[in-house]
Amino acid sequence: MIDPAVGALLAGAFALLFVSAAFHKLVDLRAFTETFRAYAVVPQGLAWLAPAVPLLELTVGAGLLAGASRTGAAASGVALLLTYAGAIGINLARGRRDLACGCGGANDQRPIAAWMVWRNLLLAALLAATLRPWLARPLDAADAVTIGAGTAVAALLYMSVDGVLGRLMPRTALWRGSR
Amino acid sequence: MSALAVSNGVLWLLVLVLTAVVLALVRQVGVLHERIAPAGALMLKRGLAVGEPAPVMEVTDLEGLPHRLGSARSDGRSTLLLFVSPSCPVCKALLAAVKSSRRDERGWMDVILASDGDPGEQREFVRAQGLEGIPYVVSAALGLAYQVSRLPFAALLDEQGVLRARGLVNSREHLESLFEAKRLGVASLQEYFSGAA
Repeated sequence: MIDPAVGALLAGAFALLFVSAAFHKLVDLRAFTETFRAYAVVPQGLAWLAPAVPLLELTVGAGLLAGASRTGAAASGVALLLTYAGAIGINLARGRRDLACGCGGANDQRPIAAWMVWRNLLLAALLAATLRPWLARPLDAADAVTIGAGTAVAALLYMSVDGVLGRLMPRTALWRGSR
Repeated sequence: MSALAVSNGVLWLLVLVLTAVVLALVRQVGVLHERIAPAGALMLKRGLAVGEPAPVMEVTDLEGLPHRLGSARSDGRSTLLLFVSPSCPVCKALLAAVKSSRRDERGWMDVILASDGDPGEQREFVRAQGLEGIPYVVSAALGLAYQVSRLPFAALLDEQGVLRARGLVNSREHLESLFEAKRLGVASLQEYFSGAA
């Protein structure tokens, strides 16, 4: 059993994550299609499928917000996150450490890295937690604060961790190896 | 409202502020990283490619001593070639940094100054700037070989005679960035950031 406040917090945070990811991809769909092609996990002839990814993300993000569609959206979201982890993992196994990850919009040219696989697995596990049955309990004002502030804090922390692992640590590693 | 609810509300507020501060700090560290990037000398488009062997040239300094540039050195030392001119004001300002860098980096690197023009004027320049002790080569061919178009220009050759870094150097930071470029094995600022981004 999962508390409805915790469940709603997770659903809200993941809705934000999926909608912002979809937004970044839709803003520059051509660049995303390039990235999609570069990943080379589906045959090159199917590259026209690329716009389906942000649309799917948008659907999952919106679906998480409504009670009726939540279970389906969460299950699709978990599948999507695991697919990303798999796609990054496959390309890392191919030794392609220079492939742009396409994680945060078109101007995000960071190469894929192992930590991204772990990040996606952790995210998938968190989202999967919302699939467990929710405790029936009326929500009051304090729960609204928990859900609202919790979602905001989760988003800020996600951006911080992403900045430290994705942008600062690769540079610090360069420095450390310099002497 | 119960004390617990108030406490909860206050804590959420503080956690929100705290995470916002953490994010701002992460951004600031990122900005600092860019400011203190270790590879910074301006690369000029034309000229020899970094990572390629430099042309082997026999030159003679003002003291009459021969120097063989661009060939592998048996003593394992690197060479910093610095192109200067008596008529270049920035060069004079840079020479203090060159002297102290030469002292600091003497364990692995020799400095050779290069110029071209009237030898009498060059000797006067060496004397006025206190450059005795640093090999000073007057050769137009050398400047042409390295395609020097602006001064002060530096080229760092490693022990194999391979060009490791080059560029226009206007300050001590630019000069030291050449040493960093060799240590890190990156040719330019652009390459450093594309590798780390």
